[in-house]
Amino acid sequence: MNPGGKKESPQNPQQQQADVSRRRFFTLMGLGIGWGGFAAALGGTSVGALRYLFPNVVYEPPTVFKIGKPDDYGVGVDNKLKKERQIWVVRNERGIYVLVAICRHLGCTPNWFDDQKRFRCPCHGSIYDVTGNVVGGPAPRTLWRAGVSIDPVDGQIVVNFNQRQDPDPKGTDEGLMVDEKSREVPPFFLQV
Amino acid sequence: MNKLLDQIRENVTQTQVWKSIFRHGFPSNDANRALVMFSNVILHLHPVRVRRGALKIKFTWCLGGLTFFFFVMLAVTGVFLMFYYVPDTRRAYNDIKDLGTVIYFGSLFRNLHRWSAHAMVFSVWMHMTRVFLTGSYKPPREFNWVVGVILLVVTLVMSWTGYLLPWDQLALWAVTVGSKMAEATPLVGNAGPFGPELGMGVDNDVRFVLLGGTVVGQSALLRFYVLHCLGLPLVMALFMAVHFWRIRKDGFSGPL
Repeated sequence: MNPGGKKESPQNPQQQQADVSRRRFFTLMGLGIGWGGFAAALGGTSVGALRYLFPNVVYEPPTVFKIGKPDDYGVGVDNKLKKERQIWVVRNERGIYVLVAICRHLGCTPNWFDDQKRFRCPCHGSIYDVTGNVVGGPAPRTLWRAGVSIDPVDGQIVVNFNQRQDPDPKGTDEGLMVDEKSREVPPFFLQV
Repeated sequence: MNKLLDQIRENVTQTQVWKSIFRHGFPSNDANRALVMFSNVILHLHPVRVRRGALKIKFTWCLGGLTFFFFVMLAVTGVFLMFYYVPDTRRAYNDIKDLGTVIYFGSLFRNLHRWSAHAMVFSVWMHMTRVFLTGSYKPPREFNWVVGVILLVVTLVMSWTGYLLPWDQLALWAVTVGSKMAEATPLVGNAGPFGPELGMGVDNDVRFVLLGGTVVGQSALLRFYVLHCLGLPLVMALFMAVHFWRIRKDGFSGPL
């Protein structure tokens, strides 16, 4: 008689009310499922897209590497690994430590001036002494020292580039200083 | 409480920032409904008034809209792929392998891109078939039909340039074969009619320009990458803008 059209009004008004509320229930449920599903899909793809941007494998130089035996390094600053490994190997009377060649101001690579016995950063003029203390320029902290150890098998020095010694410096008239004795401790110092 | 809410609503909706974004009232009358379309950069592409018959899904099957959806999908997933893919013959294949096995959701994005590309080619053909069968290419819409044919060709070239990028055997030989066909282009191909007479050889014809050399190598990969990610999408966006603008001007050719 009336396909797809509205139902004939039932005799019982209570039943009519029940019909309306059921319809409303299904409408709300449908809206909930629809929008909920949409929000879930949007949220899922957003999380997935964000996670995608964090690579699981990076093609970068190794952060733990060997640099030869302690006997290869004489007293003073060795500049030869700066380009390849971004480090200086320094030997004093007591042993060997490795300075990270990253300026603590804004991350440029300083240069070693053997005549002045100073590291000077070309970007903004930070100056460090041979221990990494700041003796001039805008650098707020002393140079990092990287973790070092001796490989028990071949006796080579192993540098852990991401293991950093970063003590709080004291402000003095000469610059930002750190007590050298407190720095010459394992794993940042090799007594050889 | 209600007073407070009204006050907050007032403070939000009466600001210049709000009014500069929402430039019309609630779309509860014809004037505001039209303003919604006019004042929104996305919605204004759609005609303000459409005949009831043309809105029937059985008339358009939404095929043009689907094609555009796939294009947007390809643009978004393509940007994601570009974060990891390097068009270097020594790296390209490994980067694709990384996307498939190493990078989180990498295979999802790559497959979304791949399947959207297939789906877009399919929906473009279906869209054109529909337009042909409903006679929607007839004047005054013949201009837009030609724009559509250009978009079809650009879509196919997009597919073809994207095909080379994985730098596997399939890619290399498909493009070797495809670019060999370009040699037979009249006038500008070295094996085409009047090509040799005009001085076309393997090192100065249309294939040479396309590949940036005489073989499918590093320069071909770079050229295809630039065309695929930048050149052709720009051309496509330009013609799509014209295409949508003509739909808006000419209206839908729905049954009366």
